[in-house]
Amino acid sequence: MRESPTTDGSSRRGFLGSAAAVGLAALAGCLGSPDILDRESDDKPAVTNGLPTADRSLPQEYTVEELNDAILPGGPGQDGIPSVDDPQFASADDPPENLDGGDPIFGVVLNGDTKAYPQYNLVWHEIVNDVVGGESVAVTYCPLTGTAQGFYRGENELGVSGRLINSNLVMFDRETETWWPQILALGIRGPHEGEYVEEFQVNWTSWDRWREQYPETVVLTEDTGHIRNYGDDPYGEYNPRSGYYENENTLFSPLATDDRFRMKAVVIGARNADGAMAVPKDSLREQAVVEGTMSETPYVTVYDEVLDTGYVYRNPEERSVEADGGSVVVDGDPYDPDALPLECEIGFDAMWFAWYGYYPSTVVHE
Amino acid sequence: MSTIDRLAGRLNPRLRIEETRAAMLLVVRRYDSLATATIVTIGYLVAFLWAVGDLAVRPDVAAGLIVVDDPLGRLFDRTGPASFEAVAMVDTGFVRILVSPMNVAIGLLLATLVGINLGLTYLAVVQPSACGISAGSGLLASFPALLSGTVCCGPVVLIALGIQASGLLLTMFAWLLPAGILLLLLSVAYVAGTIDTTGVTT
Repeated sequence: MRESPTTDGSSRRGFLGSAAAVGLAALAGCLGSPDILDRESDDKPAVTNGLPTADRSLPQEYTVEELNDAILPGGPGQDGIPSVDDPQFASADDPPENLDGGDPIFGVVLNGDTKAYPQYNLVWHEIVNDVVGGESVAVTYCPLTGTAQGFYRGENELGVSGRLINSNLVMFDRETETWWPQILALGIRGPHEGEYVEEFQVNWTSWDRWREQYPETVVLTEDTGHIRNYGDDPYGEYNPRSGYYENENTLFSPLATDDRFRMKAVVIGARNADGAMAVPKDSLREQAVVEGTMSETPYVTVYDEVLDTGYVYRNPEERSVEADGGSVVVDGDPYDPDALPLECEIGFDAMWFAWYGYYPSTVVHE
Repeated sequence: MSTIDRLAGRLNPRLRIEETRAAMLLVVRRYDSLATATIVTIGYLVAFLWAVGDLAVRPDVAAGLIVVDDPLGRLFDRTGPASFEAVAMVDTGFVRILVSPMNVAIGLLLATLVGINLGLTYLAVVQPSACGISAGSGLLASFPALLSGTVCCGPVVLIALGIQASGLLLTMFAWLLPAGILLLLLSVAYVAGTIDTTGVTT
């Protein structure tokens, strides 16, 4: 859409302090305890109309007006793709028949509660309004951008608006009808315009890997309250990868393009007040530890070979981080990849075209 | 029928409606044209339901039946501009059918119109007394209906074809169904007007 997008640097600098506070609250690992509970009182997210929003700053490379101009109808109307509002779960010993061990799932760990949301199910619903570890959350998935993200929702529920920006799901909250593009986590229309919704880490992995790591996990079933042809993906396949998930076609023209990687190449993206960064997942698998900087601040991304995923850490003190088999050694001490003694940033898988389209100023660490 | 008579008929809506009715009756009275129309109607309905995702080959799933809570209350829940929620699912052990009564009704309307069009075209081809119709007329008229069959799943069709969508194209999808039905009705009237129903043998 724009020929030379620029980052809103002044806005980012203005929020640096609060973002650093967010990072500090996330010390000691990426999974398990929600940031929302750990904050100091001054940093608690505002809860308005039941929707928790966060005093945070993310790179905003397009104005709200530009984002609204970029909205396209995806076909179905509001709630035409129905969210799952009363999810039912099965134990890891009795998973849905359609769930193959190699199929992707989106794994969540909150307050000791562990849940898996199969991609083959969410491709039909895109949003699950659930309670995990006592927290009201929404686990969201956009098939066209390959992004699975988690949001706190308070008393509210999120739904599928039927609109897309940059091929990415635009959610709406049912109480205020504010529109929230998923990757941006930003309100772009409605009472919460300009605010950010609070997020938590969601891991994209396979069912076999997840249940091996978390045998106590439960998994979303096909008892969603809606009739769908579960087991049949209208866009392609992930196990093995084919169709839309593999080819170079996008449904809509991205907001910005870059040919450093294939359109659907998977990157782990993270963004905060320092900017936006992307780590190609293939590079991460090869190197296990990938270092780089954002706004001159050092960051390190580490590979978790058990879940085939990665975690992004802010490393301002430039502590030594090295891979050692399945663990990661920080200043001589071994840690699990998801539990480094550094400031964890929320990172998630995304197709390269989608990440770059939203964050053209992104740095790439590889 | 002379050229002048036919021209006068085209300019007379009441006469055209009468001609259309007579031609449609002719399609159902002759067993061969009725068979043609019926086969096309069923074939189109099956293709439509497959295109909208309500019909799939699933030999991997055991036979069964699922009905949603409050099926009547959800009959008119829309999933797209002209597609509706399924209220039941039937697995036969080979074929999976998502039962959406509204989708079936829309598909049946389109399929019937396509069937009548091709039934009339068949009559024109096999009946020498028919005048002025080409064999391709009905087929050509059916094209909008084929397009309209994609109305519920337009973006998915675009993904399958690798076509990048614009806002205009997506807006067009919303109009395919009413446009398809209108063109099919006009086509039936046009084809019917070119058949001399009094000269057709039964």
